[in-house]
Amino acid sequence: MSVHDFWTPFALEPFISALIIGLSLASIWLVAALGLTIIYGTMGVINMAHGEFIMLGAYITWVLQYFLGFPWLLCLPISFVIVAFIGWLVERGLIRHLYDRPLDTLLATWGVSLVFIQSIRLIFGGEPQYIDTPEFLSNVVQIGFLNIPSMRIFIFGMALVLVGLTWALLYKSNFGIQVRSVMQNPQMAASFVINSSRVYGLTFAYGAGLAGISGSMFSGLKTIFPDMGLGYVVEAFLVVVTGGGELFGSLATAGIMGEMFSVFSYFTNDTFARFVLFVLIVIFLRFRPQGIFTPSMARR
Amino acid sequence: MHKTNLYHDKRAQWAVYAIFFGVLALLPVWMGDDPFTLNQYARYGVFGILALSVSLVWGFGGILSLGQGIAFGMAAYGMAATMQMQYQDPVNDPIPSFMLTNELTALPTVWEPFWNTSVGLILSMGIPVLFFTIFGILIFQARLAGAFVAIMTLAMLGAWYNMAYDMQPFTAGFNGISPPSAFKAFGVEVDPYSSMIYWVSLGVLAALTVSTKLLLQSKFGTIIQAIRDDAERARFLGYNVAFYQVVVFALGGLIAALGGMVWVIIVQYVSPTALEIFFSITIVIWAAVGGRMSLFGAIFGAIFINAAQSYVGDEFQATWFIILGTIFIVVVRFLPKGLAGLFEYAISFVPNPLPAPRTSVNSDIAK
Repeated sequence: MSVHDFWTPFALEPFISALIIGLSLASIWLVAALGLTIIYGTMGVINMAHGEFIMLGAYITWVLQYFLGFPWLLCLPISFVIVAFIGWLVERGLIRHLYDRPLDTLLATWGVSLVFIQSIRLIFGGEPQYIDTPEFLSNVVQIGFLNIPSMRIFIFGMALVLVGLTWALLYKSNFGIQVRSVMQNPQMAASFVINSSRVYGLTFAYGAGLAGISGSMFSGLKTIFPDMGLGYVVEAFLVVVTGGGELFGSLATAGIMGEMFSVFSYFTNDTFARFVLFVLIVIFLRFRPQGIFTPSMARR
Repeated sequence: MHKTNLYHDKRAQWAVYAIFFGVLALLPVWMGDDPFTLNQYARYGVFGILALSVSLVWGFGGILSLGQGIAFGMAAYGMAATMQMQYQDPVNDPIPSFMLTNELTALPTVWEPFWNTSVGLILSMGIPVLFFTIFGILIFQARLAGAFVAIMTLAMLGAWYNMAYDMQPFTAGFNGISPPSAFKAFGVEVDPYSSMIYWVSLGVLAALTVSTKLLLQSKFGTIIQAIRDDAERARFLGYNVAFYQVVVFALGGLIAALGGMVWVIIVQYVSPTALEIFFSITIVIWAAVGGRMSLFGAIFGAIFINAAQSYVGDEFQATWFIILGTIFIVVVRFLPKGLAGLFEYAISFVPNPLPAPRTSVNSDIAK
């Protein structure tokens, strides 16, 4: 392995494709991280089962399509609802009891993820499953010299739509006001007749639902298997933590991380790029543990 | 007059260690010296070592590291390289076969030091400790704590896993390195299917446990527990919190590294699975179930869970992980101190039969 094999020299057209891939990657990470951002940002809960919520979303899509013949696009909202409900149950049954022990939520949700992975493996087997996507999402769009799978454009668009919806929910709705007030000061919110326990439950459910819908979308991109969640969760965590648990922090971080990863891996290779990216994030967090935008020094 | 819980009595604790390791030492006598059983028990010893490292770092240092696998894996690769080079011949056959299949024409420079077994051992131990020290300085100087540390160690572990996977000419990638011959040191060959491997594993576990226990009973141990309970208060008392955290973190790395070295001697194999996220979190589960605030509890948890897992057998692995996940959820929810905490509670009803220990604390004040 010489230096020349390792280092790809610069060329304009492939480099531009790399930038486009970076955008696509960023949108995937953003979608995966969105639910986690809401959960971590509002409740300070590190939800290790988030990857498994994504996995459940993908499996719900597969079951709906394989056994009931639902069209793929219809599966997206249904898996949102079902995974949101599962998330709500997890919050009611377990996480609610651990709010004063943030590290223990991390561990307990890891236990939850173990149970989910193995239950799915037990029910559906460990082999990968494929999902049919609509015709217009399975072709490749050609723009100049660029060939972009239309599924990736769809996910990119959906990422923006979901961010928009989440923003509207958090900043433009009555529920959003309640969420933000509970986030700032639960006791004070309670004295304004806001049921913080209910808000936490619904917020967690919403975050889980977002994971479910992202799982549905990823099912159109790759094969699905019981421990697929692990492949998303580490990147999602890094997006959330680097973004400071804020919506636009996550948006910016996902964009920067996606592009950096794509550019690094253009010059070297995927694995080395991931290594460099992870190390850079660790160094970044050492200097800005509060995240990319957050001005306060509060460390959650 | 003393109403102390027997659980907290140092003499009782040491007695428990003596009985525990005594029983383990006699295990081959009772269970027979079937080589495969001994190899299995030796593996449990390594799991105990790993749980010990988690107990020290998390239970006593208050640092939840999900990256103990980094030290374990690095040391395992170092040990595998050492054993591989013991097999290679400097003149006729200097390059391991997996490198030849990866089209390497010369031994990589990073592999050169492993010709010498002593240097190989020092590197296997030293590099993880050095890495944990630097990584620890990076984290703890920034006063990061809690979930941040967990996520950062997790990310780092993921990064190293990718490296081990991808640097195929150096690490044999997915296949991993399997040194063809048993480990030899100082003229002795450690046969992985013999009673010797059991003694090596048990010996390292016992030595590390006793050293860690002594360390925790020293002033250093008191300080790190104070930092665990309230880092800010310890800082106001004038302690350099970051320094102590880095030392604990690095010591945890050292213990896990020794575990990794013994592991490769036992199984003669290393692959990126040693650096898997799943494995590192499983170690944390062992310690949590057994009781992270008790060295003995953590070791017991590791051995108990693994023994139960192999008892359940391969065909029920999926069900087993559901049970394990459920146990873990229940322990985190209801027993934050694990089984050891349950035992602590139970034994508090038993009056302490030991005479009160003579303390020298009051004599100082009386002067």
